[in-house]
Amino acid sequence: MSKRLRWRVIVILVTLVAIVGGYVMTGYQRARKEWIGQGRPPLREALKRGIKLGLDLRGGIHLVLQVNTTDALKAQRDNDVTQLQNQAREQGVSIGAVEYPNDWSFQLGVSEKTDTTKLDDIVKRWLPGWNVSTTSGKWTLALKDPSRREIEDSAVTQAIETIRNRIDEFGVAEPIIAREGSDRILVQLPGIDDPKRVKDLIKSTAFLELKLVDRRDGQDMGPMDKASLLSRYNNQIPPELELVEGKTVAGERESAWYVVQKAAVITGRDLKNARPSRQTMGGNAVTFFLTPAGAEKFGEATGKNVGRLLAIILDKRVQSAPSIHERITDTGQITGNFTAEQANDLALVLRAGALPAGLTYLEERTVGPSLGLDSIRKGVTASIVGALLVFVAVVVYYRRAGWNAVIALILNAILLLGTMSLFDATLTLPGIAGFILTIGMAVDSNVLIFERIREELRAGRAPKTAIENGFSKAFATIIDTHITVIISAVFLFQFGTGPVKGFAVTLIIGLLISVFTAVFVSHTIFELEYGRREHIDALSI
Amino acid sequence: MELFRQTNIDFLRWKWWAIGASWALILVGLVAIFVQKGLKFGIDFAGGTQIALRFVAKPDIDHLRKILDAGNFGDFGIQRYEEPEKNEVLIRVQQQAKEGRDITTDVVSLLRQGLGGPVDATKLDLNIQGRDSLAARLVAADPDQAASRSGVVLTDYYGRIAEAVIAKRSETGVFRSPADANAVNGVSPAVKQWIQGNTVTGPFVLLSAENVGPQVGADLRQKALWAIGTSMLGMLAYIAFRFKSLPFGVGAIVATIHDTLITVGLLALFGREFSLVVVAAILTLVGYSVNDTVVVYDRIRENQRSPKKEPLETIINRSINQTLSRTVLTSGATMLVVLALFFLGGEVLNTFALTLIIGIIVGTYSSIYVASPIVVIWKQWTDRRRPVVVPAAAAKPASAPPATPTKKKSGRR
Repeated sequence: MSKRLRWRVIVILVTLVAIVGGYVMTGYQRARKEWIGQGRPPLREALKRGIKLGLDLRGGIHLVLQVNTTDALKAQRDNDVTQLQNQAREQGVSIGAVEYPNDWSFQLGVSEKTDTTKLDDIVKRWLPGWNVSTTSGKWTLALKDPSRREIEDSAVTQAIETIRNRIDEFGVAEPIIAREGSDRILVQLPGIDDPKRVKDLIKSTAFLELKLVDRRDGQDMGPMDKASLLSRYNNQIPPELELVEGKTVAGERESAWYVVQKAAVITGRDLKNARPSRQTMGGNAVTFFLTPAGAEKFGEATGKNVGRLLAIILDKRVQSAPSIHERITDTGQITGNFTAEQANDLALVLRAGALPAGLTYLEERTVGPSLGLDSIRKGVTASIVGALLVFVAVVVYYRRAGWNAVIALILNAILLLGTMSLFDATLTLPGIAGFILTIGMAVDSNVLIFERIREELRAGRAPKTAIENGFSKAFATIIDTHITVIISAVFLFQFGTGPVKGFAVTLIIGLLISVFTAVFVSHTIFELEYGRREHIDALSI
Repeated sequence: MELFRQTNIDFLRWKWWAIGASWALILVGLVAIFVQKGLKFGIDFAGGTQIALRFVAKPDIDHLRKILDAGNFGDFGIQRYEEPEKNEVLIRVQQQAKEGRDITTDVVSLLRQGLGGPVDATKLDLNIQGRDSLAARLVAADPDQAASRSGVVLTDYYGRIAEAVIAKRSETGVFRSPADANAVNGVSPAVKQWIQGNTVTGPFVLLSAENVGPQVGADLRQKALWAIGTSMLGMLAYIAFRFKSLPFGVGAIVATIHDTLITVGLLALFGREFSLVVVAAILTLVGYSVNDTVVVYDRIRENQRSPKKEPLETIINRSINQTLSRTVLTSGATMLVVLALFFLGGEVLNTFALTLIIGIIVGTYSSIYVASPIVVIWKQWTDRRRPVVVPAAAAKPASAPPATPTKKKSGRR
């Protein structure tokens, strides 16, 4: 064996060992996390987990959500309007009614009585993010573009953070939560098969408010039907109060309504912790714990209002309105006919925090565990049968050299799987398609080489020269075909989505390996076979 | 074994016939698309909801349709899915005008009611609910009294049991009664008893549910087109650069577009739907077709280097003949894999495989009869125009040994 050949063999063996070793190690790492039995997980489990499977093969939920950033803009606007009104009141600036032409601007009525210099100062000082344009009798304030973008951006970032908290609390292995474009969020949860529950969990804004139910002539204003409530206020709810609908109870056609004080006693922000619990009467509940500041507010309010009803409002719906028995400070219980899961999930979202804006589901795909299993089984069977057919064809056609191609192909498949595992790439159903194209191209490379060798033999060259010429002449073609397809795959990866991306990843890795196996490995095998002999009479090709 | 031994077929003689045949095939496809009033898009591109269910017993499609009529879903379709003996059904609901409705939940609950599924809402439906709901219920009930044991995390403990139960469901396909869940190994009698008392099994299992909104559908369509377009341009640039000739690049791209058009048209003719998976298949065939074309081009370039001056047509014909056995063998081998995929790969991969079967045949044909003739026609066309631009006297010496100093300015130094 010449020195050059020895090096080639060493390179091939080291690559093989490194990549296969990497695959098995990754597999062990993953298997250990999930292994429930005693001791080390068996090799079979490790081999199964070496490659990360996509949701289409493994089962799970894929969601694309849109953050309704206008919610955040509106909240900011309302906040700033209140700020402006408060400041104007404090400084004695009289301003007229406020109108809202769209989500990121408002109009302020201005009369001759208005001290516009003072108003201008207030706006500059307290509302720096706003542009002012004045017309007679009206000031129009619009959010500046940079501040608008900032608000929208931070709403999305915050939403991602909140969703991640919730998913983490829920306990999902290897979730993907990523931003897509400006206001979209991609959520992938492998192995989860409860779409409704997860969707509700993610989407619930979980905005908790505790508000006192109004009391008029010694009677609590709720729960009652809407009409009789309104009649108590002569159809005119005072500005410091508001009308809130109660949670609909299964079996009851009309929901109950409450009139509560607009200012909340405490909100979700005052919460330190929350956990599911049982009610003393039986039934599920959520117990919450308050921060010191929250506890102080809560203690004061409950101490003053013993005997009154306290409405527990979640996402603008009254869950329940228990009466206050005594002064409560740092802990309380939310009740409201929950099932065990509901109580569990409510505690979870309260712990994880509220969403800054509402979410819309743009896309959702659930693959059940059995369907994924079916797809893998069929995809793998088809690939193996296809590969065997190709092996037979190549061996029949090229005889001994055909075996050479078979070895190169098997090596190609092993290295491809190993490399994907090392790069932490995900195998999807379209990925299997990329795999097949790779195998096709790898066969093609071998065919190109063998045909060239045959041509050289036909032209009367000696076998050894024919092999050398065959490889060197086919080389340019192989490089050209591979680079062309790799270029297209890179574009696909860059601009494609989901399945197209999965396809491109497999293809790029596969083609790089295919060049290595077809040119380098195949050549080495030929040399191992024929290189030692001084003279060869005929090639089996 | 050899299939072709030094063939010498005059492929280019038939080039006009081939161009006619290509146009005919493209027209057939276009007519098919026209008759259907556009391509049939799957929910990936059209938006809507698609739900796959596996039933306990053979479902009566008409009955299902009647049940769903009450749901006001607008247009919806029900078809048997995959192997009919597996009792699987695919329900497709069109994009809803009103946003915010959870179609999957509505369809599932309507069907459950309509098929007389268990009504007790307090009990968990083992066929519909997943691992996490079951785990949460078990944690709340704690039938094994595991909370009192030290070192036991309840959610982990019951999570594993729930996981095993759902894995059992995947294995058997569908539970017929809660007793089926008792076949799971390593579950204590207390848990089994709890399962018996607190769960039910509905008439079907939810295999998959997909819901794509209208915006996303349009987005995916645009992105898919963009991906295909840019990757084609990338290949055009590389081929034009490698072969230092625009006609080669254009020939390869025209061949690819030709293949894509014919494949899309034929898929429409066969009534197949366009989904993201089909896009992946089209991309595969694009890669495949370009690969084929590049192999022939490479030979043409090599043959052009020979000192013997021959007409381009002869060179191309010889190149095609020289690569013929490789072309046929590679196509054949790839076809074997794709056929295996077509017959054994299951529903999702079936359309994918069909696309490739068409693509391989058309792609092989196009690298012989589209990509190369275009180079010939282009060259002939520019040659015919050249005398107008360059004086005839100047054009003649070009066939003499290239010693013109203007050409090799930098090469000389």
